[in-house]
Amino acid sequence: MSVKNGINGWAGSILRVNLTTGAITTEDTLPKYKPYIGGMGIGYKIIWDEVPLTTDPLGPDAKAVFGVGPLTASGVPCSGRMNISMLSCWSKGYSIIDAHMGGHIAHAFKYAGYDAMIVEGQSDKPVYIKIEDEKVTIEDASHLWGKGTFEANALLCKECGEEFDVATIGLAGENLVPMSTLITSFGNSGGAGIGALLGSKKVKGFAVRGTGAVKIARPLEVKLLSNYMIKDLVGGNNNHNVPSVPQSWSEYTATTKNRWQGGPGVTWDKAPNGPIDTGEQPSGIINVAAMRCNKGVFDFGEVAEKYTVKQGGCSACPVRCYTEYDMDPLADYDLPTHVSNTCMPIISGKSIYPEGTHDFVDEGDAGIILGGAMSRAQDEYGVWCNYGNLYSDFSRTYKDGILKEHMTEEEWNAVNWQYMKDGDPRWCEEFFRLIAENFSAFGEIGKGSYYLYAAWGLDDATKNSAGKNYYDEVNGSNTNVTYNGYPKHHSSEDAWQSGLLFNSMYNRDCMIHHLTNFCRSGSPYEEVIKPVLEGFFGEGCVDAPKAYTPINENKVKLAKWAFNGKQWHDSATLCNWMYPMTLSTSKKRGYAGDLDLDAKYMSAVVGEEYTRESLEFESERISNLLRVMTAVSFKERLGSTNLRKDHDAIPAWVFDKEPEFKAFEQGTVKMDRDDMEKAQTMFYEAMGWNPETGIPTRETLEKFGLNDCADKLEELGLI
Amino acid sequence: MSDKKRFLDKDYTRRQFLKLSGKSLAGVTMSSTMLSTLGVTASALAEDKVKVWAFPQGLLVVNPDRCVGCQRCEINCTLTNDGCCSSYISRVKITRNLYSSRNGNGLYTENNWVYFPDTCRQCEDPACGNACPMGAIYADESGIRRVDPDKCVGCGACTQACPWHMPTVNPVTKKSSKCVMCGACVEGCPSGALSIIPWDKVSAAAQAI
Repeated sequence: MSVKNGINGWAGSILRVNLTTGAITTEDTLPKYKPYIGGMGIGYKIIWDEVPLTTDPLGPDAKAVFGVGPLTASGVPCSGRMNISMLSCWSKGYSIIDAHMGGHIAHAFKYAGYDAMIVEGQSDKPVYIKIEDEKVTIEDASHLWGKGTFEANALLCKECGEEFDVATIGLAGENLVPMSTLITSFGNSGGAGIGALLGSKKVKGFAVRGTGAVKIARPLEVKLLSNYMIKDLVGGNNNHNVPSVPQSWSEYTATTKNRWQGGPGVTWDKAPNGPIDTGEQPSGIINVAAMRCNKGVFDFGEVAEKYTVKQGGCSACPVRCYTEYDMDPLADYDLPTHVSNTCMPIISGKSIYPEGTHDFVDEGDAGIILGGAMSRAQDEYGVWCNYGNLYSDFSRTYKDGILKEHMTEEEWNAVNWQYMKDGDPRWCEEFFRLIAENFSAFGEIGKGSYYLYAAWGLDDATKNSAGKNYYDEVNGSNTNVTYNGYPKHHSSEDAWQSGLLFNSMYNRDCMIHHLTNFCRSGSPYEEVIKPVLEGFFGEGCVDAPKAYTPINENKVKLAKWAFNGKQWHDSATLCNWMYPMTLSTSKKRGYAGDLDLDAKYMSAVVGEEYTRESLEFESERISNLLRVMTAVSFKERLGSTNLRKDHDAIPAWVFDKEPEFKAFEQGTVKMDRDDMEKAQTMFYEAMGWNPETGIPTRETLEKFGLNDCADKLEELGLI
Repeated sequence: MSDKKRFLDKDYTRRQFLKLSGKSLAGVTMSSTMLSTLGVTASALAEDKVKVWAFPQGLLVVNPDRCVGCQRCEINCTLTNDGCCSSYISRVKITRNLYSSRNGNGLYTENNWVYFPDTCRQCEDPACGNACPMGAIYADESGIRRVDPDKCVGCGACTQACPWHMPTVNPVTKKSSKCVMCGACVEGCPSGALSIIPWDKVSAAAQAI
């Protein structure tokens, strides 16, 4: 408990659980890990120091680092996330990767007194880790093994007690399916293959109860800053800052569909005691903030109101992005009706029905009902969708006839295709069971796109019967943004070259929302977005929608800010779906947000003075650690000496789509190859990396105190 | 004289309200007409299921349907009263109801979407105070039950005696803490699940009926 040890912000201890020996130990977080902030930064430092990058990601020497940061559970809004660092078991190079988990367990973990938990070794029987403050035990989980996550979480919570939060893996993780998650709360997941990593260690999950407290240097200041943020800055999810439904107080109504869907006449119809009208939600009032988002209406339109009970989400967050539904049409198929999720599983229901779907009760309700079925089934089996690639890999290979080529007739006939053809919600259950059980070709899909495309010749048009390159193909379902096995996550379609630049920096989808948050805010471009952003980053840093211009220094500055800022958020930990507070709901502020807010929070929580610049410097250290680890992995596993060529290459569809347009013409978001080459060079130079290879220089690494990284790169001939 | 003290001087006081409602300890069921006059939404009135508690400052209304489980009530409580951030020692309690509560509600039960904060009732006849062997729980001039830290020995008798186990012994300070009606939880509730209707408004509403 940090209140006990006198440390502000950090809990002060890192927990280490060795499943081979059963040893449970703790070590001090500070001072060693302070330069790495927390969460992602601590995770990367521990993996760098302790796990050779040639380690089998699912072997006994692999480790997972569950991390929270100095702002987690500090009272700061949207500080409910946990970052999990590990080696990838599915993307090109098998390098450093993260899962990110919301819900409430990050708070419980911090209150229990830990900044991080290192899970290492392997158990020879199913176990779970039970954490009750300083009392940590490895418990038998044989009775939980084989159970879906909803049942397992319920049993674990009941077994440990009402004040324990829990998280478990599903069958996918147990069966070492790389596309697997860890599930907490209701539909809150960490993905990226953490399920398989825990499955390899025979860890079903963990349960946490914390009776401690996070010590705050200036608690009143944290409260006042939080009030200021919720009153004057926060809008809906993604901090979309103008309402979609006209409200009497609001100067603007959203120019595009955005994630502030609440307003007069928008209701939670299934509230137990009758519909709740979300009403007017003026800027400046705290008590209406949670009524704004209504993510279900954003996802499905007004039909979502019919099934909405309330809006859930994560600890400390006033913006509720997990619509909690009771979808009674699912009962007709003997499926659970309570569903909730905010991401791909709830919005992608129709995507695994390549032969079409039908409506259920109301016109246009196929998406919501199938989304409900999908999210529940996917989370029950603990399957990760790789930000949608799992669905598109299935539907593309099904439509191209390639899936059938990789199944025997007997296997093909064992699948209940009729559910799929009928648009039956039970297909979702069937589909994710087949993935989780590694069944035939479904098991291949579950290994992820990088493996699948190589194994089935989908990365070379001459090697498959469809004559396609699945990375390059211009196809609405293809969103691969690198040749490494993962898709874009708000890229150039939202934010020109800047978005595309950081999309290729990671070893999974980038999970950066810095730019899409203001691009899709619904604010008018000329009156709000352009002046506010140019006020922060200079002239020409932003483009109008579908009216792009060639790369310039301020767009690079914007990309660098977003790239480093994501590391900050996953280390702090703050939710990148909400932060940074680039825009504001307040007319008085000219709708300008407060990019210094994060530093103000850190100063008030920790009691030392931080600035936006000092936080960006610390975050850039983590960016460089990411880059170094990626370079080392690519060298040691693939023999590559050039990340620019072998890691950051951009698939052809980005440049070849919409052939009726040329890049930079009004009406298109397609990019120009030569311009992106120039953009990459400018970005590497801005980061202090070798522009030829995209690998950090010694000078840059030493600036951040990463001398050992420079030594390793030199040893491998990379610098 | 404090503002809180003055509430007791209004035409329509907490004590009169309790007498009128015929209840003195547990939740008070108010008529739909009266609540709607007080601005509680019509949807919340169905079957009188909104929970209402008579406090010195006014009526504390807990609307379970509006609770979104963000735990900001606990955060604001502890930032205000303890100088730290915690769930366990918070004087308002949502986390213990969020996962799998003793009532069979919570995210890990079949009643997944039923969760809402427990609040101190500021009982007229306080079980916590009655059970305290040190006489450490007293009513201040506004009628708010407080823990005197100089007298409290952290034995936890108050926690056990309270029907809702609201007072909590801080594991660090070894002192019990309980709600002192500071209002931080209500102020910071982003969904309006917690609200206080001041007695002057209650008075006006009662006169209007």
